Amino acid sequence: MSCPKTTHLLQEYFSDSLSMHARKEFEKHLFQCEECRVELDNLKLTRRELLAWQDQRVPHWDRGLEIFKREHDVASKSTGLFSGWQWAPTVASFAMLCLLLLDTSVSVNDSGFEIYFGGSSERAGIDQSLAVFEAQQTEEIESLIRRFESRQASNNMQLLQAIMERTQQSTAESLDGIYVYFEEQRLQDLQDMHLGYQQLADSDYATLRSLQELAQYVSFRDVER
Amino acid sequence: MSVIDEDEALIAAVLAGSPQAWEKLVKRYESRVFNQGVRLMGSRSDAMDLLQEVFLGVYRNLHRFRGDAKFSSWLFRIAHNKAIDLNRRKRLLAGISVNAEWEADPLASFSADRQQEPDMSLMNSELNQRIVEKLSQLPLAQRLVVELKVFQSMTFGEIADVQDISENTAKTRFYAALKKLKQTMEEEHVLP
Repeated sequence: MSCPKTTHLLQEYFSDSLSMHARKEFEKHLFQCEECRVELDNLKLTRRELLAWQDQRVPHWDRGLEIFKREHDVASKSTGLFSGWQWAPTVASFAMLCLLLLDTSVSVNDSGFEIYFGGSSERAGIDQSLAVFEAQQTEEIESLIRRFESRQASNNMQLLQAIMERTQQSTAESLDGIYVYFEEQRLQDLQDMHLGYQQLADSDYATLRSLQELAQYVSFRDVER
Repeated sequence: MSVIDEDEALIAAVLAGSPQAWEKLVKRYESRVFNQGVRLMGSRSDAMDLLQEVFLGVYRNLHRFRGDAKFSSWLFRIAHNKAIDLNRRKRLLAGISVNAEWEADPLASFSADRQQEPDMSLMNSELNQRIVEKLSQLPLAQRLVVELKVFQSMTFGEIADVQDISENTAKTRFYAALKKLKQTMEEEHVLP
């Protein structure tokens, strides 16, 4: 750089406080000094290249609002319908955690859907154990029923025998009673009949005496005439 | 209502405890701060860290803002300081001298960091990527001046105020930065 003014002049060129007189002097020098002119053009070009910057979009951030609200004690405003939604992610996370810990699975079949807790292999083992247990229970219940039925049958037989024996005894006693009763009745009837005959005979006798007396009376009347 | 008046109204509402005003205020400047972060730090993830730290700093210090200067100047002063802090922490973690980076050419170490950064692939255009690569070859002090002068359109007076340096130093750094960038471009054209 051979021109001694270049540095000073170019430093001043970008100053906003350059006076009108100084600017005229500067332009006069540029007109005469090619070196300073070229240098200035290069610096202007450099500045233009920098100014070609394309503004970048600011990434999303909360702009310090949380700190501002906290420090100014600004209550977070309820947003009506959505006020409770702030807990939704927490609730969803908790639900997912529970499902994960319980190893929950849902299967859909013709009869609807089924929810399983635990792994499928464990479920198969449990199903098998349940089937064995159910078979044992069924067998035990059937055995109990059979024993109960046999015991009940023998009890019934014993009871029937006892009833029959008792019924036979009572029947014999009843027949004897009936026989005695009928015999007494027969005797009573015989007596009654005898008395009846006696009364009838007595009555016939009285009638006969009346007829005799009537006949005597008639015969007496005939005599008198 | 001018931008400055709107900023002042929003700041008053924020100080009164309005979260809506805070959100609106952040939205007004977040894109500028984020893109500044990408250019200064070289990656979107670092830019996001810077963005969050800057607005946390704004939030913590907003009651101290008196309105003597523009809110944007005050904000970019915070962004400037946070960028230096973040860069220092990053370099300390990488075992690189902070002073060496501040004035000297950090090309080798920064390029190595950048290549390991998968987030670079998220840069939304090749042009942006080239710009970031060129800026990454400047020392942080020069990168900051270029950022404030070219992208934030600050005067050298404002830059001097933000960086606590003289106006002449700001001009010198800017000129040196442009020269370095020009040289990089020339090398790029010679060695495609």
